[in-house]
Amino acid sequence: MSVSVQQKKICMLGGFSVGKTSLVKRYVESVFSEAYLTTVGVKIDKKTVTLGDKTVHLILWDLAGEDDMASLRLSYMRGSAGYVLVADGTRPATLEMALSLRKRVETEHGPLPFALLINKNDLREQWAVTDDDLEKLRSDGWWVRSSSARTGEGVDDAFADLAARVVR
Amino acid sequence: METLPAHVIERLQALIFADRAVAWLRVDEALTLVDAGGNLEAYALGELSLGAPVVDQVAVLEGLLPIIESPYLVPSVEIVKGRVADLHFWQDEPGDGGGPATWIALVDVTSERDMARRLQQKAYDMTLLQEREAALNRQLEAANAALLATQRELEASRDELARWNKLLEERVAAQVAEIERINKLKRFLAPSIAELLVSSGDENILQRHRRDIATLFCDLRGFTAFSESAEPEEVSELLQDYHAALVPLIQSFEGTLDRFVGDGLMVFFNDPMPCPDSAERAVRLAVAMREAVAALAGAWRKRGYQVGFGIGIAQGFATLGQIGFEGRFDYSAIGTVVNTAARLCEAASDGQILVTSRVATAVGDVAELASIGELTIKGLRRPLPVFNVTALKSADHQVIWLNRQTR
Repeated sequence: MSVSVQQKKICMLGGFSVGKTSLVKRYVESVFSEAYLTTVGVKIDKKTVTLGDKTVHLILWDLAGEDDMASLRLSYMRGSAGYVLVADGTRPATLEMALSLRKRVETEHGPLPFALLINKNDLREQWAVTDDDLEKLRSDGWWVRSSSARTGEGVDDAFADLAARVVR
Repeated sequence: METLPAHVIERLQALIFADRAVAWLRVDEALTLVDAGGNLEAYALGELSLGAPVVDQVAVLEGLLPIIESPYLVPSVEIVKGRVADLHFWQDEPGDGGGPATWIALVDVTSERDMARRLQQKAYDMTLLQEREAALNRQLEAANAALLATQRELEASRDELARWNKLLEERVAAQVAEIERINKLKRFLAPSIAELLVSSGDENILQRHRRDIATLFCDLRGFTAFSESAEPEEVSELLQDYHAALVPLIQSFEGTLDRFVGDGLMVFFNDPMPCPDSAERAVRLAVAMREAVAALAGAWRKRGYQVGFGIGIAQGFATLGQIGFEGRFDYSAIGTVVNTAARLCEAASDGQILVTSRVATAVGDVAELASIGELTIKGLRRPLPVFNVTALKSADHQVIWLNRQTR
């Protein structure tokens, strides 16, 4: 039986300190570190998944977080098959930033499959993003999940779902 | 620009690249790796196969080839852990007869990235702290607002409580005043009448006024001699029985008890509670009293007490109201009618109920009367015709009458 092998570039986008690097580390290495180390530029990781008879190498581009001073280099997105938008549930401004990033990506690179993760669900009691906010996005057809890089909640599902959508 | 001598250039290159890993790749139009060199091991690219697709071997190039502009830079890419490179892309001019080749140079910028990261980290840590501080401030403000709201509620409750307390105090004061008024009236009146008067709220009843009343005096015959010879305890016990028998009767007939001094009692009718049959009530009360004392006297005689009972009744105008001074007020009647009743009582022998002719006329239909002639009363110029009430015309009539009068 022939096995098809594909390689897909997936970018991680979002504000700084929302947990992009931690989500990739959880997904690729199944570990979590409490220490926060900011990403400058981009970090490359690789994860291989099997979808039916297809083997897919996901090349994960973990981009530096966006903030007021450092604007995202959209050139990093070149050749990306899809992307994961990440926001921090305890900081509502990061959800606004994710929504704005998504608009900019779409203007620059056209519509691409993406998933929106509202991270840090392990700090649910500190969340300022409401269920109503998420329901509204879902009703607009967005793939939205809460996640936790600390516990692993929602992480594999998000990448598996996105992989299935980028591999046609 | 001045050209440097070859050996200087070589030395500079040696210095620049001594601690910077530089590697390069050359790719043809079909994206096949044609050539590679430099420090490939630094980027974990030591096992490359020339002639094979480059993207399958160098994952970071996924999506980047073919390049759409030249030169092209993808800066600061951490290709393997701890090794960061700027990726430089450019195309050379076709000169060997083949298609254009794409060159990719990987230039190590790990130390620059680390320095930038240290600065960035400080800035982000500061920003996160500020965000955290702002969030805490918001929580503090919310807590303050909640506290303020609670305080306002508490103040409102306190005001409400103060209002209720004031209302309660006013009610208590009103009730205490009413109790005081009732107590004041109870000294003169049957309790039920006192409460009736208080509930009517008419304070004027205690003011001085004139009214036609029937007055009844009674006392024991031989009581002074008895009290001189008997022990004080015996006297006290006799008076207690005597009062216990008579006071409820006075209340039943709704008489106003003016005073009792020792064995003497004064009762009047038609004030403050008006009644149209004051003489009849007085006579009926007198007969009931005579029967009650007769019952007691049997027991007294067995103990050797020789005491009798006499009653006098008169009817006429008197001045009534509060008499006395603050703290010692009495409700009393003053006038000739009082004096006359007292004198009739003095004149009555044991078992006699002596009444004036006016009273006798008023009760002629209900009582058996016997004239005992004229009596000279101290303080009156002319002698008075006096009658003795021997009995009521019907014994049953008394009970029926009382029941009929019960309010």
